Amino acid sequence: MEPSEIVLTIPGQPEFLRLARMAAADAASRVGLTYEEIDDLRIAVDELCFAVMGEDSAGSPLTLVYQILPGAVSVSGSSPGDGLAPVQSELSRTIVAAVVDEHELGQRDGMRCFRLLKRGSAQEANATG
Amino acid sequence: MTGSNDAVRTAPADELRREFIEYRRTGDRKLRNALVERHVPLAEHLARRFAGRSERQDDLTQVALLGLLKAVERFEPERGLAFSTFATPTILGELKRHFRDAGWSVRMPRQLQEHVLEVTKCLGPLTQKLGRAPTISEIANETALPEESVIEAMEANRAFSATSIEAPTDDDDALAPLDALGRSEPGIERIEHEMLVTSLLDTLPQRERAIVMLRFQDGLTQSQIASRLQMSQMHVSRLLARTLARLRDIMEADEHTERALHRGRRPAP
Repeated sequence: MEPSEIVLTIPGQPEFLRLARMAAADAASRVGLTYEEIDDLRIAVDELCFAVMGEDSAGSPLTLVYQILPGAVSVSGSSPGDGLAPVQSELSRTIVAAVVDEHELGQRDGMRCFRLLKRGSAQEANATG
Repeated sequence: MTGSNDAVRTAPADELRREFIEYRRTGDRKLRNALVERHVPLAEHLARRFAGRSERQDDLTQVALLGLLKAVERFEPERGLAFSTFATPTILGELKRHFRDAGWSVRMPRQLQEHVLEVTKCLGPLTQKLGRAPTISEIANETALPEESVIEAMEANRAFSATSIEAPTDDDDALAPLDALGRSEPGIERIEHEMLVTSLLDTLPQRERAIVMLRFQDGLTQSQIASRLQMSQMHVSRLLARTLARLRDIMEADEHTERALHRGRRPAP
């Protein structure tokens, strides 16, 4: 049976986001998202991870939880960051909203955090393939 | 409350603009040095983005400062762009040129290169055959690669673009597709206003700007953009990734400078 959750902790530095994107791609491929949908998911993961990391050049750990759901992937991320609430620019919000079905960014219990949901559209194709 | 914050925020920006206008008028070296000094945190911030790449941090900062100096010399305040918006690509360009000149590059293992090529080659025909974008398993079947190799190839395609981020017109298809796009794309002005990022988009080469708007405002898929601009979907994906990274760099730098100005750090002597 497929595991339903993947937990990944990386240093909050841009050079480690490759791991976050690849884990997202792997989780998404397990539920049959298309190549383009996975690329969209990777864009959103990138944007929101950057927003959560903020200006924290020390690279506080960033913990990501990928949930493999029926026909969808949910990704949550949290980091202490620089201690301030994350701010999402208008451009970033526009980009993320265009590529995933749901997303939120904020601060909870002193942690900067985000959550996103990406649904796939290729379920029929998967079933017949 | 927002209004009063904005009023406080704009004061240093106006002051800065006045100083740039004064420098453009007089060519006063002392004023130029003060402008450079004032933006040292921006250069340091951008140099840190390249940390850990076998170069000493203070060397990188020096390179970034050179880029900053060039930006101060070239900045035209009357165009209405924030200085940091203008300076960031210049500084990043200087840093990237430094790595290129120093022989630094991301070397992709040969096998991975082959995987990227195989995936790239199969995407178009497979998309046509299926009438939609393929899944990872469909690409894996088509190329006889394991699924994880397909995912690696996706990531490698993106990483590979990092080496050529400042070479937006190095592809054969750089200009022709823009001709195909035409200049009278309906709604472009409206889109720009809606996104409230006109000045950011203005810093992009025309092709990248078109891709961002087609993807995020018109809602076209990567395949549709690829078809419209007569390039491969992988190429659209690569351009999109590097364009977003570039926009993010500029936005971060803007925020960084604004905060530094607000705190009154490194005041002009």
